[in-house]
Order: sequence, then structure tokens, then C-alpha cells
Amino acid sequence: MFVDPRPPSVASADHAARGALTIADLDKSFTIGGEPRRVLDNINLSVKAGEFVSIVGASGCGKSTLLRLIVGLDADYSGEIRLDGNRIASTSLDRGIVFQDHRLFPWMTLAQNIELALLNTDTPKERRAQIVADHIALVNLKGFEQAYPHQLSGGMAQRAAIARALVTEPKLLLLDEPLGALDALTRVHVQNELQRIWMAQRSTVLMVTHDVEEALYLGDRVVIMAPDPGRIRRIVDVDLAHPRDRGAPLLHRLKDEILAELTAAPADPANLVRLPGREDRR
Amino acid sequence: MKQVLARPAARFAIGFVVPLLFLAWWQWQASSGGARALTFAPLQSIGAALVELVADGALARDMFATVSRSLAGLAIGGSLGIAMGVSMAIWRPLDRVLGPLLHAIRQVPLIGWLPLFGLWFGTGQGTELIVVCLSAFFPAMLNSYEGVAHVEQRYLDVGRLYGFTPFQRFRLLLLPAAMPLILTGLTQALAFAWIASIATEILLGAGSGLGVTMQLAQTQQRLDVILVAIIATALLGFAINTLFQRLRRHLLRWQAAPL
Repeated sequence: MFVDPRPPSVASADHAARGALTIADLDKSFTIGGEPRRVLDNINLSVKAGEFVSIVGASGCGKSTLLRLIVGLDADYSGEIRLDGNRIASTSLDRGIVFQDHRLFPWMTLAQNIELALLNTDTPKERRAQIVADHIALVNLKGFEQAYPHQLSGGMAQRAAIARALVTEPKLLLLDEPLGALDALTRVHVQNELQRIWMAQRSTVLMVTHDVEEALYLGDRVVIMAPDPGRIRRIVDVDLAHPRDRGAPLLHRLKDEILAELTAAPADPANLVRLPGREDRR
Repeated sequence: MKQVLARPAARFAIGFVVPLLFLAWWQWQASSGGARALTFAPLQSIGAALVELVADGALARDMFATVSRSLAGLAIGGSLGIAMGVSMAIWRPLDRVLGPLLHAIRQVPLIGWLPLFGLWFGTGQGTELIVVCLSAFFPAMLNSYEGVAHVEQRYLDVGRLYGFTPFQRFRLLLLPAAMPLILTGLTQALAFAWIASIATEILLGAGSGLGVTMQLAQTQQRLDVILVAIIATALLGFAINTLFQRLRRHLLRWQAAPL
């Protein structure tokens, strides 16, 4: 179902062959108020190299925690997270992440911020400026190279953050609600760009979002998570070629289905709200 | 009023209105005779004193001495303070070992050190400089510590993502992130160094300096000379502070809000 990838301008040739993610029996607990509290429970997920997988779910279902584990900012988990067979224990330039807030360094210009990602790569120094320029062009920010982050709009800063994450050509790109803070119009625009960039680069992408429509528009599969503790409830295949048409009937049907699932009344009686004292009243 | 102030020249000029009114009132008091003539020196005698002090080079010498003492104290005390604050924030054991001592020491007001330093180092220019250094040290230390200790986790995460070495983390992340507070510390250190210079000059009277001249003029009952020294102190302090704020704005040009 993949569209024939154009010869990638910045990605290396064997790019699509790498970046397979396997998560097996993953558990994660935090200690809150002295008591262990499970935030991720028995997560099992395989993402093929070059696949775009979206994750949706109510807040508090551990989506962001999952991404922090995969990117390697938190190594305290049980179970397995493997990228191309190697267990993940710390951060690596193999994996890029875009957070909900852009996290550009405010004291550096846009170009400096993006070049920062190349600092500890073996990219030759003389090629770096060109690669940075290519990526700035890729996210349509030409002309803003010397701007400081406070001079950029929210959408521009977020696109710069995407460029920073892409510039190291990560095998796996993690997106943690990257468009959550944007207004509706900017959001549609950046979604289109994300799709375009992904089709050109074909790295594996795992995107967490609140927005079911966004998850369906971009994802080859949509993982639906349930909270308390965070677990996978269902995985939906979106069998539609890229680039996609937002009006595609399949997307609308799946959206209704997923929303119904996410907002369904909890069947577990323990979850029902009880007003104190009601039962005792005669 | 708002429209008048829209013009830069008017904005500049309006700062002179109150000082000029004050001078007029002063001159009126000085010329009304009697006991007041002892309290208020007339402007013409202040002017004469100014001419006298400029002509024999005393004023230039005093200004140079006070400014260089303040800036030397700022450079030495301020850089040691930044180094200490940054080190304590990066390496917490140092904070635990030295922190309590330093926080106790800084409770002693500057002038409180003079008797001790006088006994140790004498009442010369060396003691003056040590007190100025010490006064610049603490604001620089405290603010640098706060700045480095409270760099946001979200930026530290970015450093980890891109595999920063400890040195890269310091140079590209901790130091620039802390720079606004470090410069706030230096601004305070500058003010403290300036105060300490004038105060130690008045109290110790060693070498030359605006404070030395003030002290000497008091014993000679030269009200006009005291006033010239005070005016020079005020204008010089104002000029140094303005220059420093310019530098600060330049260094922090990446910040959104005007400082």
C-alpha cells in the first residue's frame, strides 16, 4: 500500500529498510505518594520499517510515557523495546522526537537550533550548513534561518522542531502531540507537510495525538489506548493509500467508530460515579 | 502629554524638568541668606569648586580611582562569584559543603568587615578593594547558582537527545539558559561594588577617589566640594549602569520581552 517513494533528497538510500520497532510485554510504574502506580500495562506492538502509526487515547493513558521510554529518556521499565533488534536503554541519534512544545533553544537562531542536532553526528562539518538549509526548505521556513524562536509563530516553531528531529535522519521519528498547541488552520497545513515529508523520507513514525481525525489522516494504523493503567485497547488498520483525501468515506467511518469506542460509557461498575450516601437514603 | 512624549527629543528632555526645578529651588534657598547659606551652597560657588577641581585634575583622578576600583572589584568578585555559583549548581556536593558557610558569611553587611579587614590588611587601598570584591561576589554567586540550578528539564531533555557531552551541555545549554540571571547578578554586583567603593573610600580614606574627597571636604567644611563629588558620583554611576544595561540587552537579544 506504500506509494512508490520518490528518491529521497536528504535521506540515505537504504533508509526505508531500517527502523522496525518491537515492543513486547512492556510494563511501567511510577511511585506516586509512596505507592507504585502502573501507568503502562502489558504493551505489545510491532511497527514495520517505514510505517506510520498513530496512537490515540484519553489523557492519562500513558501515551507520552510510552514515547519517553521509546526515545530513551527513561530507561526504567520492564519488558522489551527493540529497534531493529537492539534493546533501547538510552537516547540515541537513531531516534528523533518532536514534543508538544517545540523546545527550540531560545538563545539560538533557527538555523543554529537545527544544526545543534548534527553536533555529535559524523556528518562532515562542511556539509552541515547545506543539510540544515535543505531541512529548513523542507518545512517551508526559508528566509527565517536567522530568526530567534520568539520571533516565530507557534506553527513555524513547531515546523522548525520537526526539521530539527528530521535532520539526523532518524530511523524512528516519535511525535508527541506535535500539533496539539496549534490552531485548526495551521494544524491542517502542518499535517499536510508531515504527510509530504514522511512520503519523501519514509522513516518509521510513531505519533501520539488527541485528534482522532489527525490520527486517521496520517496513520497506516491507529492504536487506541485505554487509561488506568495505560493499555492497548484496539488497533485499527487504515487501508488507504497516501497522499490521502481528508474527505475519504473510509476515514469518516473509522472516525465515528473510534470516537464511539473512546467515549463509550465504562462497563465496569467500579468506574461508575457514586454520590455518597445515596444508597442509604430511603 | 502622550503626544508630546511620542517624540524622542521630548522624552529625553522631560527627564531634565524635575532636576532643573530642584536647582531653582536650591538656588532660591541658598540666596535667601541667614542660616540657610550654611546648608545650601549657591550654584555659582559649586560651579567654582567644579572648575577648581577640574583644573587641578583632582576630579578626573578621583573619578578614575573610584571607577577603576569598582570595575576591578566587579571583575574579580563578580567572576569568582559566577564561578562559585555555577560550580555549586552543577556539582551539588560543593553546595552542601560550602553553601551553609557562604550563606552565613553573606549575612554580615559589607561595612561589618571593615574592622576585621583593617586589623588584618591595614586601612589602605588593598582593604578597600577586598571589600569591593566581596560585595560583588555574593549577588553574582547567588544569581548564577539560581540560573544554572533551575534550567528547565525540557531543555535538558533536548541535550540528552542529541548526546551532549558534559562540556557541550555546559556551553550550549546551561550557560546560555542561565545567562539572564547571571547578568541580573552582575547588575546587582555592579551596584554593590559602586556602593562599597564610595563607602570604603569615605571610611578608610586611602588613596584617591570620590569618597576620599567627600570625607576630606567634610573636615574642611567645603560644602561645595562635597556637592561636586556627589553630583559626579551620581552621574558616573548612572552612566556606568546605562552602559551595562545596553550590554545586557545586546547579550540577551534572543529574549522576547524588552528588559
